[in-house]
Amino acid sequence: MKSVSHDIALELQAFVVREARLADESQYQEWEDLWADDAVYWVPLKDGDDPAKKVSHLYDNRTRIGTRIRQLKTGYRYSQLPVSGLRRVISNYEYSEEADGRYRVEANFYLPEFSSQATHTFRIWSGRFVYILSRRDDAFQMHMKKILLVNGLEPIPTLSFLI
Amino acid sequence: MTTQIDYHHLIQADKVHGSLYTSDEIYADELEKIFHNGWVYVGHESEIKEKGDYLTREIGRSSVIMVRDKDGSTKVHANRCMHRGNMLCNEAEGNKRNFTCPYHGWVFGLDGTLMDVAYPGGFEKPLSELGLQTLVSDSYRGFVFASFVQPKLSFDDYLGNAKSLLDRSCEMSPTGKIDLRGGWVRQHFDANWKMLPENDTDGYHVNYVHQSFVMAIDSQYGEFVGAEDSIKGVIKDWGNGHTEIDFSDGYAKTLDWLGSTPEKVKSYVDSMVEAYGKEKADKILYAGPPHACIFPNLFLGEMNIVIFQPTGTNSAVQWSTPMFLDGASELDFKLLRQSEGALGPAAFLLADDATIAERAQKALLSGDPWCDLSRGLNRETTDEAGVITSHMTDETSNRGFWFHYRNVMTGAK
Repeated sequence: MKSVSHDIALELQAFVVREARLADESQYQEWEDLWADDAVYWVPLKDGDDPAKKVSHLYDNRTRIGTRIRQLKTGYRYSQLPVSGLRRVISNYEYSEEADGRYRVEANFYLPEFSSQATHTFRIWSGRFVYILSRRDDAFQMHMKKILLVNGLEPIPTLSFLI
Repeated sequence: MTTQIDYHHLIQADKVHGSLYTSDEIYADELEKIFHNGWVYVGHESEIKEKGDYLTREIGRSSVIMVRDKDGSTKVHANRCMHRGNMLCNEAEGNKRNFTCPYHGWVFGLDGTLMDVAYPGGFEKPLSELGLQTLVSDSYRGFVFASFVQPKLSFDDYLGNAKSLLDRSCEMSPTGKIDLRGGWVRQHFDANWKMLPENDTDGYHVNYVHQSFVMAIDSQYGEFVGAEDSIKGVIKDWGNGHTEIDFSDGYAKTLDWLGSTPEKVKSYVDSMVEAYGKEKADKILYAGPPHACIFPNLFLGEMNIVIFQPTGTNSAVQWSTPMFLDGASELDFKLLRQSEGALGPAAFLLADDATIAERAQKALLSGDPWCDLSRGLNRETTDEAGVITSHMTDETSNRGFWFHYRNVMTGAK
């Protein structure tokens, strides 16, 4: 692992900020298009869990991401009808370059989701994002997005939006 | 607490009253009559394999510890120090040699005996009088149930026909044993706990609540959403509040329930044939695991074990874990991914059930309080054993839950 230049850090941050905006705005297709073929979109119960042994809240490969987006695009996924109000705040960025040339970005997130499908209440989500990215065309693609919730081992409410 | 709630008025032959979901009084009554005085599912013996292994769960709102004692037996204790009521054990699971209270250092053995009191010079009472409150408990095929007081119904009578449902889950394994070691996903609902068992054995909602799933995903559930006459699954009331959706007659081919084929899981199929003989193995592999609720709080969710936990009049938690099979660990990865797909807060299925329950919880506060539960009264049939069967979209299962609930809440059972 080595550090990245300031310019690359800015590029990586811009990617993360855009990914966050697409997720916040439920731009399903554009968000799906960010993924690489070896995608892992993962919300484990806790950091360090082996997905071959332990259940996760969400553990999607590229195919399952496609299924998830297809389901959301039907317009009948009640748990996102209407879409939740989402504006996540991301901070505390840390960047590194891995041995294989991919980039790792870690950051904290705070997301007060306004859930308007039934309860019309705020639901608080908080934790750490871990991204593994590589260059594709003149941008990046996501190989992994791991979401480590601070309360991952606790009961959590419906998580059908793009976190 | 004494209450004068008229459950015979609230639960009628073809309708139930909305206050059953929204009344604080009824919720408090349930915590006493169902979750204190009756048999409640706690955990599975495979979760506490070694001596000293324990887990903490809630029965109603009471925290309990389920532990493997030194003599190999399973015990369930109230998770409360007998001194000043502190929480004895704050961890969800682990292994301990004894339970030491963090407040004043009292030490309890795995069997609940009070073994040591710090600074004994100031304490005269015999330690034997202050052991942990140990619940009445019993188990069937590793499924451990407990109650704070000796229930009216014997364990055997309580389970009744549910024994065959638990058997069917266990017989998915070539050694007849399930193994719950995959961890627990916990999904919070802003809705009353009774909507969870109602939903889980409701065959009527699939086309509607899970329309997005059926449209987006090719699965065995697609076999159950056609025209009324073509649906071959059935709904069942097994008595004592135990209910089922039986999909087996509707499956197109063997291993549909696993989303697989005999070629892909050859080692599992071979071990099943070796264990049960070809004829029985073929039947098991075709019919698949049960999809059934054991009153009040256990759901055999096909290849998952699910627990309902009430957390308030308007809130509940559904726990889920994949049902690993002893002797078939090659299925683990698939079962984990299937579990994540069906159950839990991000699932393709349960996420939408939660929203539907939450909408009902709000709407039930307004207007006419009655909920119609008459579907199937015109066509359900009862066999010699008293098991009631009807079309998969009928509310026979819901009535089965409510009539038993009424018996429990009025003291009839």
